[in-house]
Amino acid sequence: MNAFFQLYRASLKEYTRDRMAMFWTLAFPIFFIVLFGIIFSGNNDTVFDVGVVVEDKSQIGTALEQVFVKVPAFKVTEGTRDALLEKLKHGDLRIVIIIPNGVSDSVSSGKTANIETYYDPSNQTTAQIVLNIVEKVVDGFDQQVTKRPTLLAIKPVSIASDRLRAIDWLLPGILAMALMQLGLFGTAPALVQLREQQVLRRIGATPLPRITLLGSQVLHRLTIAVAQTLLILIVGVLMFKVTVIGSAILLAGFVLLGASMFLAIGYLVSGLAKTQESVIGISQLINFPMMFLSGLFFPVDIMPEWIRPVVSAMPLTYLADALRQIMVGATPVYSLGLDSLVVGIWLVVSMALAVKFFRWE
Amino acid sequence: MPAIEVQDLKKYYGDTRAVDGVSFAIEQGEVFGMLGPNGAGKTTTTEIIEGLRLPDSGTVRVLGLALPQNTRRVKGLIGVQLQTTALYPRLTVREVLDLFSSFFPGEKRSTDTLIDMVNLHEKEKALSKDLSGGQRQRLSVALALINKPHIVFLDEPTTGLDPQARRSMWETIREVQKSGATVFLTTHYMEEAQELCDRVAVVDAGKIIALDTPNTLISQHFKESVIEFQLTGEAPPEGTFRKLKGVTRPGIRENGKVTMYTTDSTATLGGLTDLAEAGTVKFDSLYVRRATLEDVFLKLTGKHIRE
Repeated sequence: MNAFFQLYRASLKEYTRDRMAMFWTLAFPIFFIVLFGIIFSGNNDTVFDVGVVVEDKSQIGTALEQVFVKVPAFKVTEGTRDALLEKLKHGDLRIVIIIPNGVSDSVSSGKTANIETYYDPSNQTTAQIVLNIVEKVVDGFDQQVTKRPTLLAIKPVSIASDRLRAIDWLLPGILAMALMQLGLFGTAPALVQLREQQVLRRIGATPLPRITLLGSQVLHRLTIAVAQTLLILIVGVLMFKVTVIGSAILLAGFVLLGASMFLAIGYLVSGLAKTQESVIGISQLINFPMMFLSGLFFPVDIMPEWIRPVVSAMPLTYLADALRQIMVGATPVYSLGLDSLVVGIWLVVSMALAVKFFRWE
Repeated sequence: MPAIEVQDLKKYYGDTRAVDGVSFAIEQGEVFGMLGPNGAGKTTTTEIIEGLRLPDSGTVRVLGLALPQNTRRVKGLIGVQLQTTALYPRLTVREVLDLFSSFFPGEKRSTDTLIDMVNLHEKEKALSKDLSGGQRQRLSVALALINKPHIVFLDEPTTGLDPQARRSMWETIREVQKSGATVFLTTHYMEEAQELCDRVAVVDAGKIIALDTPNTLISQHFKESVIEFQLTGEAPPEGTFRKLKGVTRPGIRENGKVTMYTTDSTATLGGLTDLAEAGTVKFDSLYVRRATLEDVFLKLTGKHIRE
């Protein structure tokens, strides 16, 4: 136990004396938040220009239109399909919602009706927020009209969702990104260095059980993951007034689950890479696609169809989705159960592979 | 009970026979040296005995305990210094020693004692990445002494050190021996083997080609003195020096450097001077010396130990 504690303390000391490691794991995510926070600060309490086309002039069609008009964040312009789509192209509108003919018929016959939405894909973050609101609104309306019983006793708190700003949307994603980079850049190069400099071999020449060494390293990384989470929350709440609404226990659970999973991937990378240079290369190969295809900065539904299977296989998609739901009450893409299942499967598979490929020398 | 017993040890890497049928036994309290060029199989042999590698075949017993069955126990009884000595770059000397100390369960030396033994007082608060080669080497030796080991393994402990640092390392090794420990040392410096070792195994290409005390090895192979000089002019035909009086065996020429062995150095030098006066050979840097382990190696393998 003493050896475990000493190793844990030693690796924390090494970490705090390593400016690069500190920068990439702590300063870099904060830098991202501040950068995006400033870029999108103009969106605070912004009213979005929304076009609504009512082709279905029935009671249901007009009622739905009224619901959109009442959304405080929307400034609704009405018009014909062609006129409003033209305005969207010119950038005068953020989104055009079309209530097509036949909505009321579908609803009364119990079929699903499609509300069409058009948006400018060059402004992803805003589009994502607006879409999010539209979804909420339609959902609520759907329940009213069809008089379905509410299955959940408590409806997700909607204050955050209705007024979800860019920074609210981004903050949990950046936390997920930070956990991924802790596992990749904060773990794999350090391990390869320990191996290259034969520190692992030197320790292997003592009676220390190897599991003690591994255990202390894992605890060290999880400690940093907790530090990252706290730091990101503090900056988000204090600087950008992000309303954090979710359960602290659920948040801690997902942070530890996600950090463990990326840690396992980091160990796997360190086993596959032969040198310091190749470890960085392999890590980037994992980092970049995940960063850009997991819906951290671009919403998943604007991506081409063929890439969707890749997106829905990537663990970061699920971790970010879960953190977004828990922290700021964003609309779920998947259920928390599915999120934890996918991340859990990735954890188990990566761990098994990491054990298989891990080398002490 | 011998400290180390090795029987017919073999370890091949593909076609390379790193260790090719090595056997020896080391008594407790002995300083035992493995002398040979780089790539002779010294490090591989050492690491098998330390329990860091598995041999392809052969048996190893350390302090009566068979490997690999007793690896964990053996690791607690021995102290190891590895050839590469980078250690937790961002920990201080004292922190590294404290950390490794926690890995050994039994009786051990205090960090203060260790710092004292390897003379690192003025550097105990320095980060290990800021140490010089010699200081790092001393730290690495200190790590091998933590658990009051019965056997200390030192793998080329003075490689890359300046002469002064080498002398001071030799002092430390003698002290370790005085404390009653067996020392297993590998080196490619023949002075070092001659200076420190009770017995030396000369290894080449994975095999032990001679094993005895340094003095026995030398007197067994050489009754003669050694004459060496550097040719400066055109090289005379083969066999010119062999004909000189007192010369016992063909000389060895490498890059114009001639090594000859003679039972009558006065007569040989006289003959050499005659050759020089006649203008047949030109040379300088001539000297006469006793044979050393290097000559033994040269005689046994036909090559110098350092190339």
